[in-house]
Amino acid sequence: MDISKLVCLAAATAISVVGTVQVSVADTSDKKIALSNNYAGNSWRQAMLKSWTKNGEAAVADGVVAAADAFTTAENQVTEQAAQIQNLILQGYDAIVINAASPDALNGAVKEACDAGITVVSFDGIVTEPCAWRIAVDFKQMGKEEVIYLAKHLPDGGNLLEIRGLAGVFVDDEISAGIHEGVAENPQFKIVGSVHGDWAQDVSQKAVAGILPSLPEIAAVVTQGGDGYGAAQAFKAAGRPTPLIIMGNRQDELKWWKEQKDANGYETMSVSIAPGVSTLAFWVAQQILDGAKVPKDLTVPFLRVDQGDLEEKLAGTEVGGVANVEYSLDDAKQVIMGK
Amino acid sequence: MNSAKPGLKHIMSAPWIWAYLAAFVVWLATVLFTGGQGSIQILSAALSFATFSVIVGIGQMYVITLGPGNVDLSIPATMTFAGAVSMKIMDTQDAMIVPGLLIAIGCGAAVGIFNYGLIRALRIPPIIATLSSSFLVQSAAIAYGRGIKIKPPPILADFTTWRIFDIPVLAICVIALAAVMSVVLHRTVFGRSVTAIGQNQRAAALAGIPVDFIRFATYVQSAVFAGLCGYLLSGFSGGASLNMGAEYLLASIAVVVIGGTSVAGGHSNVPGLWGAALFMFLLVTMLNTYGLTAGYRLILTGLIIVTVITLAGGRKQE
Repeated sequence: MDISKLVCLAAATAISVVGTVQVSVADTSDKKIALSNNYAGNSWRQAMLKSWTKNGEAAVADGVVAAADAFTTAENQVTEQAAQIQNLILQGYDAIVINAASPDALNGAVKEACDAGITVVSFDGIVTEPCAWRIAVDFKQMGKEEVIYLAKHLPDGGNLLEIRGLAGVFVDDEISAGIHEGVAENPQFKIVGSVHGDWAQDVSQKAVAGILPSLPEIAAVVTQGGDGYGAAQAFKAAGRPTPLIIMGNRQDELKWWKEQKDANGYETMSVSIAPGVSTLAFWVAQQILDGAKVPKDLTVPFLRVDQGDLEEKLAGTEVGGVANVEYSLDDAKQVIMGK
Repeated sequence: MNSAKPGLKHIMSAPWIWAYLAAFVVWLATVLFTGGQGSIQILSAALSFATFSVIVGIGQMYVITLGPGNVDLSIPATMTFAGAVSMKIMDTQDAMIVPGLLIAIGCGAAVGIFNYGLIRALRIPPIIATLSSSFLVQSAAIAYGRGIKIKPPPILADFTTWRIFDIPVLAICVIALAAVMSVVLHRTVFGRSVTAIGQNQRAAALAGIPVDFIRFATYVQSAVFAGLCGYLLSGFSGGASLNMGAEYLLASIAVVVIGGTSVAGGHSNVPGLWGAALFMFLLVTMLNTYGLTAGYRLILTGLIIVTVITLAGGRKQE
């Protein structure tokens, strides 16, 4: 291949790339995207909705899409969300982004949407219906990473207290399975107690306060997010030494960690999913509408805070909120390409 | 009530004794399992957390005593709303503790007035009225707080978690509150009117009791206690969160029923609330200590609660 041909090819590629970008804006500017959300009653979900609205309004103002509306069901019921999805089909949305109340119970409604030619993208609470896209979190790996961190920081091992989430929910089973797998690989650790904290600070505090008196010395607490500060409160109230508590990115957890770090050099890590994952789902839906080839199963990265970047992350987190990242179109493209 | 006959037999016939007995058995089963370790600390934790169930339980008990169909399902939403509003207004300043308390109580009173407005003016059954108002109240809490958790003033946090020799001070305050509310129930015109309405509303009306006003006051009282509980719980657990009231819907009803108050209304008792609240906490602690998985824990919780209610109810009918 000679130089002139190469230049021609490069020019052609450049034109086609520019062309695609222009077309992509034109292609989806009349498309309407809806968010079907099953629950709004905690700070994580509030932040998720906020990120969606902020990102969606900007996208509408820029002419990328015609609408990016959010709908939340009141009662966190499968039947209610199924009815909501049917309404969204009738209202003529081109894509529905779902945070689902159940992985399989909404499949009927999702199939109806697909049959009506609507793009369905599920995230966080994903659906198993094959016609929908899934932006999943590797919760099992998240649980395992906690134990890997502990193995590095507590080489002698010790007793662990596990705080689980809401009993019967898929996410809780996955994170817990990851933690148990990690412990099986690191036999210097032993889980001596396990309670359900429902991902809520006050419930965790109550459950930990109840079981703590009957437990031997605890080296570390493995958690699922939203429960670390409650656990710290319970240890303090019981007058026991504070163990290494894994945190879950809530501002009160990070702030408590910072206070301990300043006072006595306390070390831990914090991991969770950013509520801004809703914006990633938005851009993925936009890309699918735009005609991009997107694999059906995508994975979102965790948002992890370590000793080094604690101050920076804490400063960027709203008081009383959750550490967050909002994803851009470019981030979505990276995730689609599997990077 | 046969109050003239003292002694063990009389005590055993009291409907509330079963809740305490159950709490004691569950505590013993936990302590035996751990070999005596932490026996006092478990009781201390039980007292701390039972406090909050008892506060909302008192309000719920008065409402349930009004007779069939009377129940307040807006308690969790009211707790969240009062907690969120008072924490935000206090904004961690110690000087604002008293105004914050008044605001929390005011929030409760407003919800109570609204609840009874729905029940009376629109003639909506209490279950539906309080459930639907709880949606409005919860939404108001979300709109007001936007899911943001605000820390309590330091002195409030210290007070709600204050212990003297392992005994939570807040629990002592609420034991005193329960004693006062027991006197109100049995010795005042208001308390006796509530019981009379529960036994026979028509007879009570014919006897000249202002039924409407008493029912109104009872619903407002329940919401006020929920507001107070939301305020104190926010102080205790480091801030008001949107789902903080969630477990108190079932808890408020369970402590009333397990405590020996008649679900059909007209017969209530305050001491049982404490026994039942301690029992509920110790039961979860016992099952956690035994290390059972969530499925077995839920099954056993259900079975044990049914057993205790059956025993307590069975005694009463004799």
